[in-house]
Amino acid sequence: MELVVLSSFLAATVRMAAPIALAALGETISEKAGVSNIGVEAIMLSGAYFSFWAMFQSGNVYVAVFAGILGGAGASLIHAFLSLRCKADQTIAGLALNFLFLGLTSFLFLMQFGKTTTLPSITVLKPVALPLLSNIPIIGEALFAQDPFVYVLYLMVILLMVFFYKTEWGVILHAVGEAPRAADTAGIKVHAVRYLACTANGVLGGLGGAYLTLVKLGFFQENLTGGKGYIALVAVILGRRNPLGVLIAALVIGSAEALQIRLQTLGSTIPSQAFSMLPYVVTVLVLMLSMGKGHDPAALGLPYERDKR
Amino acid sequence: MPTLRMSKIDKQFFGKMANEQVDFTLEQGEIHALLGENGAGKTTLMNILYGIYQADSGCIELDGKPVSIKSPKDAIALQIGMVHQHFTLVPTLTVRQNITLGLKSKGYPFVNGKELDRSIRTLSERYNLTVDPAALVGSLSVGQQQRVEIMKVLYRNARLIILDEPTAVLTPQEVESLFIVLRRLREEGHSVIIITHHIDEVLAITDRVTVLRAARNAGHVVTRETSEEELSSLMIGRKLQKIERKPLPFSFASKGLQLDSIQSKNGPLGPLSLSIPAGSIVGIAGVDGNGQKALAEVIMGIRDIESGTITLDGKPLQHLSVKERKALGIGYISDDRLKDGLVLDMDVRDNFLLSSYDKREYTSHALIDTKRVQQATEQAVSSYAIKTASLSTPVRYLSGGNQQKLIVARELGDQPKVVVACQPTRGLDIGSTEEVHSILLDLRSQGCSVLLISSDLDEILTLSDKIAVIYQGTIMDVLDHDKVDMTHLGLLMAGSKTRRSV
Amino acid sequence: MKRTILSFAVMIIVILLVSFLLIAMVGSDIPTSLASFFRGIGGSTYAMAEVLVRATPLMLAALGVSVGFRTGFLNIGAEGQLYLGAISITWLGMTFPSLPAPLMLVLSLVLGFLSGGLWALIPGLLKAKFGLSEVINTIMLNYIAINLVGILVRTSLKDPTYPYPMSPMLPASTNFLHLLSPTRLHAGLLLALVCAALVYLLMFRTTLGFCMRAVGLNARACQCSGIAVSKYVIISSLISGGLSGLAGVSEIAGLHHRLIEGISPSYGYLAIIVSLLGRNNPVGIVFASLGIAALQVGSMSMQRSSGVPTSIASIIMGLVVIMILSRKSLFRCKEA
Repeated sequence: MELVVLSSFLAATVRMAAPIALAALGETISEKAGVSNIGVEAIMLSGAYFSFWAMFQSGNVYVAVFAGILGGAGASLIHAFLSLRCKADQTIAGLALNFLFLGLTSFLFLMQFGKTTTLPSITVLKPVALPLLSNIPIIGEALFAQDPFVYVLYLMVILLMVFFYKTEWGVILHAVGEAPRAADTAGIKVHAVRYLACTANGVLGGLGGAYLTLVKLGFFQENLTGGKGYIALVAVILGRRNPLGVLIAALVIGSAEALQIRLQTLGSTIPSQAFSMLPYVVTVLVLMLSMGKGHDPAALGLPYERDKR
Repeated sequence: MPTLRMSKIDKQFFGKMANEQVDFTLEQGEIHALLGENGAGKTTLMNILYGIYQADSGCIELDGKPVSIKSPKDAIALQIGMVHQHFTLVPTLTVRQNITLGLKSKGYPFVNGKELDRSIRTLSERYNLTVDPAALVGSLSVGQQQRVEIMKVLYRNARLIILDEPTAVLTPQEVESLFIVLRRLREEGHSVIIITHHIDEVLAITDRVTVLRAARNAGHVVTRETSEEELSSLMIGRKLQKIERKPLPFSFASKGLQLDSIQSKNGPLGPLSLSIPAGSIVGIAGVDGNGQKALAEVIMGIRDIESGTITLDGKPLQHLSVKERKALGIGYISDDRLKDGLVLDMDVRDNFLLSSYDKREYTSHALIDTKRVQQATEQAVSSYAIKTASLSTPVRYLSGGNQQKLIVARELGDQPKVVVACQPTRGLDIGSTEEVHSILLDLRSQGCSVLLISSDLDEILTLSDKIAVIYQGTIMDVLDHDKVDMTHLGLLMAGSKTRRSV
Repeated sequence: MKRTILSFAVMIIVILLVSFLLIAMVGSDIPTSLASFFRGIGGSTYAMAEVLVRATPLMLAALGVSVGFRTGFLNIGAEGQLYLGAISITWLGMTFPSLPAPLMLVLSLVLGFLSGGLWALIPGLLKAKFGLSEVINTIMLNYIAINLVGILVRTSLKDPTYPYPMSPMLPASTNFLHLLSPTRLHAGLLLALVCAALVYLLMFRTTLGFCMRAVGLNARACQCSGIAVSKYVIISSLISGGLSGLAGVSEIAGLHHRLIEGISPSYGYLAIIVSLLGRNNPVGIVFASLGIAALQVGSMSMQRSSGVPTSIASIIMGLVVIMILSRKSLFRCKEA
C-alpha cells in the first residue's frame, strides 16, 4: 500500500516539475550565453494561451504545440531585442514583459471567448506508457507512464547535456556568456549566439506553458502561471545551469507542490494557503542552503559592446 | 611590395581624434615596432587593422590589394592575428578549448579531443611554445597565458601577427624567451607588429620603427640606424626630464609601516614580512599576479589576514576597518582606477570627497554643507591642475590623466603618513606621469612611507630607495637601490631562491 | 535635442494608436470609450479624488523601490512588504483597541514601517552577507506574504462574526483623517507627499543618502574608500521595505479599515514601473504615480461604461516601459 502511495507521489512530482523544468532548461541556455530573463512568466503565459487557443480552434495537438512554441519565442525575442539591441537593464525588461503579456493574454482570452459562465476547455493529452520501462517497480509508473511532454523533457535534458559538454557549440555558448570579448576576437558572432539562445529559451518556455493548458488543466484563465516562471528561475540557479541539475532541482520543487496537494486532500482545518505557500518557502530555503556554491557566467546580465573603451 | 599599407587613417571617439591621417607600412618578414606613449593612438590603429573598430576614413591594403575588415572574423580570414594587452581567453575553459574556440575542426560539431591535442602539440614544437592542452587557462601564469594567445593566432594560420604591449607583464627572462619566439616567427616567414612604449625593447628586437605622437605620425626609422635619444624625442616631442631621486639627509622619528609574517585568508599572500620606513619609497617588483594587489588590499583593510601583524608607527592596524585606517592617514591608489577608485557617474566634487562626506567639516545639521564641499574641491582642482569642464561634470568624461590626478588629490592631498600606490602611472601620458612621480618624491621627503607597486621596472628603479621582489605571495629579497643587478632581479622575480635578507 | 522630442512624440502616438486598436478590437466605440476614460479621471471631484486615492499607495511603494534601486538593491518585493504593513496595523488595532488616536497613529506608522522593513531586510541581509540575488528572494517573499494574509484572515485575525475570510472592522482610532467628503480621499496622500520630501532630503542632502547612492553606482570603489557596503545595503533595504509597509498601512487606515485578501491590485509591481518612469527621483515619482493611477482609474471607468477590459491598462504599461527602454536605441539619441 505504501509503495503505491509513493509511486503516485512520484508521478505527481514529475507532473508538477515538468513545466518548470522545461522553462528552466530554456532559461539555462539563455543564461549560459549571458542573458538573464526574468520574463519567463511572460514566455510561459504566452505559450499557455496560444497553445490553448490553437487547440480550441483546430483540435490538432501538433498545431497547438507549435502555436505555443511560437508564442513563447515571440515573448522571448522582445526581451532579446531590449537586452541585446537596446542594451536595457535585463531585470526591468523582464518585468515589463511580464506585465505586457499578463495583460495581453487576458485581453485576447476575453476577446476570443467573451465573458462566458462556463470555462472553455479542451481535452487534455492522455498519458502514454512506455513499454518495458513503465514496468519497473515504483519508479516505472512515475517516470515512464506520463504524457508526451515529459518524454520530450527527458530527451531535451539528454540533448542539452551532449550539446553543452561534448560539442563545439557548447564551448561557444559557454565562451559567449563567460568572456564575450574573447569570443568576439576569436571571430564568434556574440550577438547572433545570444539571439539564438534567447529563441531557444522562448521555445522551451513556450512548451512549458503549453504543458499547463494542454496537459495539466485543459483550460486557460488570467494569470494561469501564477509565479511558475519565477520558480523556474530558481531551478536554474539551484541546478547550477547544468541540464541534469536543473531537472533535479525542478523535481525537488515539484515535490513540494505535490506534497501540498497531498496534504490538502488529507483534509484539515489548516487553510489551503499554508500549503500553497510551501513551494515558495522551499525555494527560499534551498536558495539559502546553496549559497556560495556555483558560479554565474561572468558576463551574465551585461550587454556586450565591442566598441567599449 | 609591402605586406601591409594603411593610408590616411582617421578615427575619432566622442569628438576626440584617436588617429589623424595616420600612415603605416609593413614589409614582409620583418619585426616592426609601433612606438608611442600612452594615448598616442597605437592600439586604436591596430584595432582598426584587426576589425574591432572601423576607421572613419582612410584605406588598408594587403599585398597591394585594398581590403575591408569589418570584424575580427574578416581579419582572421585575411590571416591577421592579434595578441591583445588584456588577454582574450576564457579562464574557465582549457588551453585546447581556447585555442580551437569557434573553429570547425574534423567531426564538427563534435569535439575530437585527441586529434586536436595532437595538432596543437605539433604546432607548439614547431615554434618552441610549450603548452599543456588540458590545463585550465585560469590556472596558468601570465607568461603561459601569453603563449596560449600566440598559439591561438598561429593555429588560425596568421601570417601577420600583432602584439599589444607584450612585455608589460613579463619578467626579464620571460621577455628574452618571447624575443626568441619572435625571431622564430620571423624565420618562419611571419610579419610581426609590436605595439610598445619601451624604447629598449624596440632597439633590442625590431627591424623598423613607426612612431606615433598625439594621434599622428611622428617619424619612421630603421632600428639599426637610430638611437635611444632620437626615438625618445620623436615619441614625446621634447627631451625626457630625468627625475632626480636624492637620498634624504635626515631621518624621521616614526617607525613607518611594518608587516610581520602576514598570511591572507585563503589567500595568495604569506608568509610575508616587509618594512617601509618613514621618508622612503619601497618599490615592489614582480610579475603581475604574484600577490601585489593582495598586498595592497591587506594593508588597506579591504582583504582580511589570518595571522601576522601590520603596524603603523608601532600601532597595530589589523583590526581596523578601511575607514579607520584611512582616518589614520593611509592613502590608496588602486591599479584599477575605473573600478576601484572612482564612481564614474558621480561628479568631480562627489568623487573628491567620496570617503569624507561624513566628516564634520562637510556637514551641518546632518545635511551636507555644499558650500564647503565646493570650496574644498575648487582648491584641489587648482593645486593639482585637474582639467575639467566644471565641478559638476561626471568623472567619466575626464581624461585618464585627470582622473588619476583627482584620485591623487583625494588620497595624497591630506598629508598622509602612508601611501600605497599601485600602477599609479599606468595609461598616463608622459606629462602626467612626471607630475605623479614628483608628488610621490615630495611625500617621501615629508616623511611619508610610500609603497610603490608597479610592473614598470623603469619606474621602480627610478623612484625606489629599496626594491622588494614579490613572488607567489612572499618577499624573495629586498635590494638596495644602488646594489641592483638586473639579472639577479629577473631571477628573483621568476622565483629563483636566494639568501633571504630583510 | 530634436531627436529626443521626436522620440517622445512617436512614443505617445504609438501608445494612443495601440489603445485605440485595443478598444476597437473589443468592439467598443472609440470616442465613447475615450470620453468615459477622461470622465473617469477628471469628470468630477469624486473622479479626481479617486486618482489621488489610487496614487497614494503607488507613491509610497515607489519611493521605497527608488531608495532600494539607487543603492543597487532591486526590490521587487514591494507587494509583500505592503501586505506586511497591512497585517501589522490590523494586528495593532485588534490587539489594543482602546489606545487613544494620536498614539495609535504613531504606533501604526512605526509598526507598519518596521514590518515592511523587516520583510525587505531578509533579502537585504542575504544579499549583503552572502551575495544572494535579491531579485528572486523578494519575489518569493511576495507570494509568501500574500499567502500569509490568506492564513491570517482565516485564523488569528479573522472576524468571528462573519463567515468570510476577513478581519473585523478596526477601531476608529486607526483611521486616517478623511479629507474630502463624499470622496474617498484620505490623509494617506499627505503621508505620501511628506515621505516624498523626506526621501528627497535623505537621498540628495544627507551623508547617508550619498553613501547609498555611491554604493549603488560603484560598490567596489566604495569598499576601497572605506564606505561600508553591507551596512548601506541593509539600511537601504530596511527603508525601502518600510516605505512599502507604510503603503499597506495607508490602504487599511485610509480606505478599507479591515484586512481582506486582495487589497493590492499589484501595487508593488506597479510601483516598480512608477519608479522607473519617475527616474528613481521623488519629484518624478509623484507625477508618475499620478499618471499610472490615472491610467488605472480611467481604464476602470472605460470598462464600466464601454466594456473595455482593464487588462488594457497592463498592456499599455508594459508597452510604455518597453518603449522607454528602447527609445534611446531606436532613435539613436546621443543623450548623456
